[in-house]
Amino acid sequence: MMRKSLIVAKTDFKNALDLRFVKMGLIMSVAFGPVMVILMFVSLTALIPPSEMAFAMLFLRPMVPSIIGIFAIIPTTMISANALVGEREQNTLEPLLCTPLTDRELLLGKTLAGAIPSLIILVASTIISVVGVAVLTVVMGFPMVIALDLPGVFLLATSVPLMIFAVVAVMIIISGRVTRVYEAYQMTSIIILIFIIPMIMPLLGIETGVPNEAVWFSNITTLIIVAMVFVIGWALALKLFNRDKLVSMV
Amino acid sequence: MNEITIFGLTKNFGELVAVDHMDLNIPGGTIFGLLGPNGAGKSTTTRLLSTLLQPTDGTARVSEFDIIQEPVRVREITGVLPEESNRTVYPGMTAYENLEYFARLYDVPEEEIPARIEELLTFMDLWDRKDDKAGELSTGNRQRVALCRAILHRPTVLLLDEPTSSLDPLAAKRVRELILELSKKYKQTFLINSHNLPEVQRVCNRIAIIDEGKVLLQGKTQELRSQLLSKQKFRIRIVGDIEKASSIAKSMNFVEAVKEEVDSILVTIEDPTENNSSLMQNMLSQGIKIVEFAEEEATLEDLYLEVVKGGIQK
Repeated sequence: MMRKSLIVAKTDFKNALDLRFVKMGLIMSVAFGPVMVILMFVSLTALIPPSEMAFAMLFLRPMVPSIIGIFAIIPTTMISANALVGEREQNTLEPLLCTPLTDRELLLGKTLAGAIPSLIILVASTIISVVGVAVLTVVMGFPMVIALDLPGVFLLATSVPLMIFAVVAVMIIISGRVTRVYEAYQMTSIIILIFIIPMIMPLLGIETGVPNEAVWFSNITTLIIVAMVFVIGWALALKLFNRDKLVSMV
Repeated sequence: MNEITIFGLTKNFGELVAVDHMDLNIPGGTIFGLLGPNGAGKSTTTRLLSTLLQPTDGTARVSEFDIIQEPVRVREITGVLPEESNRTVYPGMTAYENLEYFARLYDVPEEEIPARIEELLTFMDLWDRKDDKAGELSTGNRQRVALCRAILHRPTVLLLDEPTSSLDPLAAKRVRELILELSKKYKQTFLINSHNLPEVQRVCNRIAIIDEGKVLLQGKTQELRSQLLSKQKFRIRIVGDIEKASSIAKSMNFVEAVKEEVDSILVTIEDPTENNSSLMQNMLSQGIKIVEFAEEEATLEDLYLEVVKGGIQK
């Protein structure tokens, strides 16, 4: 099962890269997350006196997983849009459905096409961001700064991967209702905004210096919302993803 | 032995009955033409046989596999050329990559893939274009790539939906030749949906005419033509006054219909063995110069029109 799904995933990824906006999107996703995080930390480290750094970190650290997460999820939306809606747009879906692939193999292939690049970007962006901030602060003569704390690692390890897979489910649901890749991409991009919650919510406790509890609370809230999107999304997607329905859409 | 057997196959789309309790047998090794007007249920039948759609009722067997119980096995032994198939190849992939992708999905042994692709692309005169992106190929060449894709895994049954639609006459002719060559070479069973009656006449040795999802008529192409077309048509090519020749023919009581063309008239004659000589003598006596007096071969179009318009049941 896995072998054929990987063949589908590899081909979908390769075909998505043929589109300029996907190629540019991937480059942006790989670069922008770490660049934003590194610039944010390094510039503040240079501007704020060392005595106030600990306080500044309370505001900055909750933003890191959100920034990395949003940029890591973008490739899934673009590749899945192309793999699901793009197949219909290009009329290539019917011959694919005529092959001995089972519905599950096809679904797994389409899911992996979008998820694998995003998961790789997520891990790579996290490592680059943390290492980049630590090295640059030391190089610039400041105390070493670790950009990610435990609640951040928790968010990156749970909500973001879950969201990557939830985006594929949402794409399957909307693929029956849109006819163009761009429409699908735009519609799905909206749900990424869930990750604004862990970025903004901790700042509500700004007067009290953003207690760790507030960060945990916002991250767990985000996880619950993402889990709901994941469960409802996949329940609907599994119901909708079958040959009969897919062919009726062709 | 029947390669495709359809029993009471029905497909409803809401209120619309696309295929209505269809029964059909297609013997192995035949090139079977499925004819019918738009919306007759031809494409839906193909999609049901290729397991893309689930029947509302009834079932079908392709070789020994049931389309409902063993859809994956059916897909393994079936090659499908969808409607407008020239648009179904991946435009960003080369002709070779398109075929390589499908070869892997159809479980063609990895070591055989290059040889099979080379054999087919050479057979289709496309080997020189193997590294061209499919999106840069002409419509006819894309259609050929799609045809290669359909036969790459050596299916026993080929379902071709309008295989020459949107092709220019030359490309269409080439595809027809390819179907005949493939049938001869690989002894596969073909089910061809087509509006193109002369094409079906040239290629198919058995046909079924369907309308509103039902089979109106089925059988061997030649037998059906002679069985249904009891009145014979003759072409009389003349030098001179076509209108005069036409009025002479119309005045004869055994002549049922006359159609004028540029250099000839087409007459439908009852009992031609008895009456042909009378018509010819009458024309000659009135100064009509006859260059040719020949039987006009009944076309599938005549049969089709008679069946669909006349509502003949099987």
